[in-house]
Amino acid sequence: MRGASRRRLTAIGLGLGLSLAIGLLSWAWARPAAVVRVLMPAPFADATADLVATFNRSHRDVRIAVTRGPFETDAVSDLAISSLLLGDSPYDLLLMDVTWTAKYAAAGWLQPLDPWLGPDALEPLVSGARAGNRIDGRLYRLPLVADMGLLYWRTDLMEAPPRTPDDLVAISRRLQEQGKVRWGYVWQGRQYEGLSCVALELIAGFGGHWGPGEAGFGLASPAAARAAGWLQQLVREGISPPAVANFAEPEALQSFEAGEAAFLRNWPYAWQELQRQGSAVAGKVGITTMVAEPGQPHAATQGSWGFSLLAGSPHPDAAATVLQALTGEASQRQLVRRYGYTPTLTALFDDPELVAERPLLPELRQALEQAVLRPLNPGYAQLSDILQRQLSALITGRGDPALAMARAARESDLLLRASGQEVGAQPKEVS
Amino acid sequence: MTHTSDPATATATAKEHTTATSLRLEGLCRRIGGRPILDGINLEVAAGECLALLGPSGCGKSTVLRVIAGLDPCDGGRILLDGRDISQQKPARRRVAMVFQSYALYPHLSVERNLSLGMELRGVDPEQRERELAAVLELLQLSALRRRRPSELSGGQRQRVALARALLRKPQLMLLDEPMSNLDAQLREELRPQLRTILCGGRAPAIYVTHDQQEAMGIADRIAVLQEGRLQQCGTPQELYQHPANLFVAGFIGRPQINLLPQGDGTVVGIRPEHLRAVDEGGLAVRVRSREWHGASQLLLLESAQGPLRWTCDGNQTLGDDLRLGWERRHEHRFEQASGERC
Amino acid sequence: MSALLLMAPALLLLLVVFVWPLLDYAWLSLQAQSVFTGLEAVPVGTLNWQRLLVDGRFWQDAWQTLRFAAVSVALELVAGLAIALLLHQRWRGRGVVRGLALLPWALPTTVMALGWRWIFNDPYGPINGLLQLLGLATLPFLAAPELAWLATVVADVWKTTPFVALLLLAGLQMIPDDLYEAFALEGGTPWQGLWRITLPLLRPYIFIVLLFRLAQALGVFDLIAVLTGGGPASSTESLALYAYLNAMRFLDFGYSATVMLGMFLLLLAGAGGLLLWRRQTDAPQEVRP
Repeated sequence: MRGASRRRLTAIGLGLGLSLAIGLLSWAWARPAAVVRVLMPAPFADATADLVATFNRSHRDVRIAVTRGPFETDAVSDLAISSLLLGDSPYDLLLMDVTWTAKYAAAGWLQPLDPWLGPDALEPLVSGARAGNRIDGRLYRLPLVADMGLLYWRTDLMEAPPRTPDDLVAISRRLQEQGKVRWGYVWQGRQYEGLSCVALELIAGFGGHWGPGEAGFGLASPAAARAAGWLQQLVREGISPPAVANFAEPEALQSFEAGEAAFLRNWPYAWQELQRQGSAVAGKVGITTMVAEPGQPHAATQGSWGFSLLAGSPHPDAAATVLQALTGEASQRQLVRRYGYTPTLTALFDDPELVAERPLLPELRQALEQAVLRPLNPGYAQLSDILQRQLSALITGRGDPALAMARAARESDLLLRASGQEVGAQPKEVS
Repeated sequence: MTHTSDPATATATAKEHTTATSLRLEGLCRRIGGRPILDGINLEVAAGECLALLGPSGCGKSTVLRVIAGLDPCDGGRILLDGRDISQQKPARRRVAMVFQSYALYPHLSVERNLSLGMELRGVDPEQRERELAAVLELLQLSALRRRRPSELSGGQRQRVALARALLRKPQLMLLDEPMSNLDAQLREELRPQLRTILCGGRAPAIYVTHDQQEAMGIADRIAVLQEGRLQQCGTPQELYQHPANLFVAGFIGRPQINLLPQGDGTVVGIRPEHLRAVDEGGLAVRVRSREWHGASQLLLLESAQGPLRWTCDGNQTLGDDLRLGWERRHEHRFEQASGERC
Repeated sequence: MSALLLMAPALLLLLVVFVWPLLDYAWLSLQAQSVFTGLEAVPVGTLNWQRLLVDGRFWQDAWQTLRFAAVSVALELVAGLAIALLLHQRWRGRGVVRGLALLPWALPTTVMALGWRWIFNDPYGPINGLLQLLGLATLPFLAAPELAWLATVVADVWKTTPFVALLLLAGLQMIPDDLYEAFALEGGTPWQGLWRITLPLLRPYIFIVLLFRLAQALGVFDLIAVLTGGGPASSTESLALYAYLNAMRFLDFGYSATVMLGMFLLLLAGAGGLLLWRRQTDAPQEVRP
């Protein structure tokens, strides 16, 4: 009797448990998947299309829907900001340029990632890729690919690349006089963010620092004036073409690719372009870091893209899953192998198989270790604009470098003071 | 400046520098796309004479003016002004003035600026300009309106401004293109004598285009009737009325329209409604079909064996009356039916 | 009362599309609302306006915008009039040319600006190609402040002259031919006719052209954003571009609204001047001595 009743109880329990399990399972099966919407610039949307498709095939409860944004960085920012200003963002994740993070975080548009990724989220990254993701101790962004300013040089025209600004000018002048190249050095001189990237490396290379902690956001220093003066000299003395004042990356690349210049400043993506068929310099190009005065760092402006979680996301858990998947090792490996992007994970730089396939990786890692971050300030866009304006004037032959940098320094101070920030304050970033 | 209000004196002032001229058209032709618009027009207008160009719309009468003025090209023949062929000259050099049907007043200029602009262009010195302006304003009773814009003028006033502008040109030839067609009937009749005073008796010939025969008769010394680009007849109003050269002129001149009675012998007899008489016997048997009161007379529409007839009569006829009508032989016009020419 | 009722929809529309945004901007210009305030609006009184008054960049841009508008609209007026006069004449193929002439205007500004960016490219653009073919040095059209400014004017003139020509052509077609005939018979030459008849009678159309084009040119944005991005050295930056930078790049909405309002006030002054000029020239003609 006892045994029977126990058996009966067991049966009931089993039946209940089974039906519960079935019910739970069927609920899980029938539950509509959370759709994580991601806005990416067009090139990244294209490059990650396969990854996204693979993710969607293997996940039942989370789906990724990618919005293919514009090509240009600024246009993507405009699109994102326009939608964010309207209130609830239509996106969960945003692939952001490194310079946006502080601004977006200050605007309250981002959610810290720490609850999902933990305090060690940046540990697997090479040190050069860690900066620029944490603001006020909170992690707001996880990088997908790294980018850093590089100096491309012609291996067929010289034994070794120049290491100082004077070297670069001397080699350029010699090659120009010999008629081997029309121009010495092509770079990004247009009045846009690229010019700030150029300046950041040079100011560091001349012994200065563009950023908080010094008067005039670091622009009041003699180093800043010398760096600016050097850029002006390049154009004035014909080392760089006058048109450089309107060069962005594509124009500079085009000139170098046509064999017209001895040196080019550009990002890693240019390597593949320069090696393809039709390039006049295929097989004759080396990369190194930017020139610097003796004893100063050969800096490389860090420019990486990474995912951020938007504050209004209705399903942050799912979004965090997607974020981790897209920035993970498998994902980065594919981006490196297929598209030549620079990874951020130490594991990939250390992978001998990958290095064999991409022999440039060690050099890129070295450059990445030298990477300098653009100031992590909510007002960065405006600070950068102040610098660009003065530099652009100098490059187009107007004004004196010291005066121009002094003006930029004054305007930067004014802006910081007006925004309630302490001039000369130390950065609050903890990396 | 004080001025006599006598129009004749003022006219003389306005025309003082004009030498007597005459106009002669020889075989004037105008074609558009191969189609003849004017087909060999021969005409002569003497100094001081006013010729009316009369014809139905589309007959080419305005084109004659435009070709003479040089606004349309002359495709054949000659235009002799005082013996000099002007047919290939630029309009500005022809010394021809024209009053347009629309008046073509410059809408943005006041009356006085409208009038003095031409003198200014021709380099007349300011003092003389003012003198001539005052004279012509006086002549055409426009002095009070000199500051107004065309849009602030009545139709009759605009017409006078246009006329004044033409007079100030001191033309060797005056051309008027239906200058009264935009005015109401009463105004037209009022203006006719004035226009006649100004146009006729001067030293320049004038050509006046109209489709209104009353106006033509009231103003012109002679009338040229145009039909399909050809000149049908040219003569005094009386000549045209009394001796129409062909069936078209006979039908076009005279109101009410002439009665045309086809004869069996290939001719047509024309008899004007006002020349019919009631007779006791003989003549045509007619019946009154309808009538129009014209005040002093009445126009009866009659039915006869030879077709409908019009009769202007003084008497009092009633509808349905049967009558017999006859006419005097001297009032009879006879035309060849085939060619339409007068026998 | 019924009149007011009938006008209500129009007034409401005006209120919604014009007055309300204006008031909103006026309110915003008295706030600090930027990335530094976490996008919260904080009342700051006239601080933004004080900043505007001493903001060299605002006044530089105002001057640049004004210069751009004045020169390009003047050139468009002259070129547009010439084209309108040409298209008003009767000649074979006029209809086709009339259609073709409108093409630049039909192109989206951004597309057109990209095209000009290529045309002005140094050294690969067609103009510099031609210069090189002639053995001349290339010109850094978009890299030198004066040339870049000229480039924006050229592109704008190219784009909007058809619009001006079209409006003026409509005006020309309203002038009766017989005015010119009367004028010719009085001894006037065609050149005199242009000044004495055509231009005075075109005045209402010229006024409309000026109103439309100046308003448009003073608010120029997309052309410059694409062609030069405001550079080099902000030498081609317009007020609209500056306002846009403040809002979308710097996330400083309070100041952006102030810049926009400042621009609006300048525009208003310009339009007022234009209206006054029109009223004055429209007064009854004076007698010339």
